[in-house]
Amino acid sequence: MNCELAHERIVLAAYGELPDEQVHELDRHLAACSECGHEQQQLLALKTLATAYPVVEPDPNLVARSRMRLEEALDALPPKQWYERFGQRILNNFSNLQAAPVAALLLLIVGAGAGTLGGYEYAQTRAAHVAGRTPAVTARNANVDSTQPTPAGSAEVANISSIVRQPNSEIVDVTYSQIVPQHIEGSLDDPAIRQLLMLASENASSQGVRDDSVGLLAAECRAGHACQGEGIRDALMVALRYDKSENVREKALEGLQPYVAQDMRVRDAVLEALLNDSDARIRSAAISELEPVSADTSVRRVLSTIANSDHNPHIRTVSREALSRAPVFQ
Amino acid sequence: MDGPDRAAERLQARAPEMELIREAQAGSRAAFDALVRQYEQQVLRLALHLTGSEHDAEDIYQEAFLKAFRYIGNFRFECSFYTWIYRIVTNLCLDQLRRRKTRREDQAVVVDHSGDEIDVLASVSDNRAFSNPAKELDRKVLGERIQAALSKLTPRERTVFELKHYQGLRLRTIGEMLNTTEETAKNTLFRATKKLRTQLAGLR
Repeated sequence: MNCELAHERIVLAAYGELPDEQVHELDRHLAACSECGHEQQQLLALKTLATAYPVVEPDPNLVARSRMRLEEALDALPPKQWYERFGQRILNNFSNLQAAPVAALLLLIVGAGAGTLGGYEYAQTRAAHVAGRTPAVTARNANVDSTQPTPAGSAEVANISSIVRQPNSEIVDVTYSQIVPQHIEGSLDDPAIRQLLMLASENASSQGVRDDSVGLLAAECRAGHACQGEGIRDALMVALRYDKSENVREKALEGLQPYVAQDMRVRDAVLEALLNDSDARIRSAAISELEPVSADTSVRRVLSTIANSDHNPHIRTVSREALSRAPVFQ
Repeated sequence: MDGPDRAAERLQARAPEMELIREAQAGSRAAFDALVRQYEQQVLRLALHLTGSEHDAEDIYQEAFLKAFRYIGNFRFECSFYTWIYRIVTNLCLDQLRRRKTRREDQAVVVDHSGDEIDVLASVSDNRAFSNPAKELDRKVLGERIQAALSKLTPRERTVFELKHYQGLRLRTIGEMLNTTEETAKNTLFRATKKLRTQLAGLR
């Protein structure tokens, strides 16, 4: 054992973390090495010295004060909506189901199998139907002989998964998948339209499409049009946090404004934007949205941090002004 | 091996707490309040010793239990509630220490909620029949030196040393609480003890 390793094991032994089989080896090394023996003495002295800063029981007044403040904060929280309680009950029941692992596993396997089979059958039927209807195909990823008759359909070929030539014949079996462009028209209150807008806000490769989708979702929320679903707020929070375009992030922030007071997740997301967003316009808008809830300790602390450390002088000024207007608790 | 028996004993001891947690998850405020009363002393003790400030300890208490209330539905009984709440408190204390480092405040002394300095050592009762004022003064000075040395550690080193030396947690538990490995917690403890020995060399 070298001395560097011995020093580490001395620390572990002093704190009862050294495995028994290594204790004897360490003792033998310490008996032979005076420097490591001195190291051990120093560490034991440190442990003794550290007791000069003891852990004390908190003052009863501090405990009472803290408890009272917590009770006030809990009383001020809005009651959970019926769908939140229902969703929580489903999750709790699911966690109880985890106590029956075999049943849960069987259920999962059966469900996944049925879903996969059903989905496969549906996809096969639909692909056959589309291929039968549409006139032409654009091949993308394969070496397809142009003299062969092309499969019917205007759908794009996504990939070719297998090519098998039948023995002693000119017949070739080709297995391929198709992407079928679709078009849908409907109201903004239509769940299918909303689902597509939420997907577009996260997955669209074009910034313009993400901008439009987030803008529409945010406008719905600001207008109070049945924006209670968790999926829409989640989509806006994801856009606020991750989208590369400041226009998209700004629209997401505007859409979340009605929920800053009642939804702590939204409040935390806006606080994070205030701390981390690179665009000063967005940080400034975040301060305005947080001002009605500046009584919240976490909001005051972030505002205080920003007031002292933001690199933009305007942001620091606005934060200080917001803090000065915040109600002070005794 | 008595492993299964001890596990059953632990489970039985935890049964009343598990019932409380389930009731709190179902929305019972009384059940949550009972959990708060069960753990509030430990939470405040840890926060006060780590931050050295009553004001910060109170804020951390508030945030920790509000977070616990908000996310108790996500508690899956994979660990004890004690470990779960301790994890929340530890990370809040770590955040506070990091913010303090950014602001470069000197927290070598303990301050109460009104901002006055309080003497931690004075609150430790002296059970001896006759106190020795000179020794008391030495102890106070020593305590202040220890606090100053602790404040020189990085937030993570400070937290790991606190949890290991003062709270007596296993390195594996400390690693889980800080969302890292036992090996990382170990290395952090080595660095912390090395730095402290250097800082306090003149006292021995």
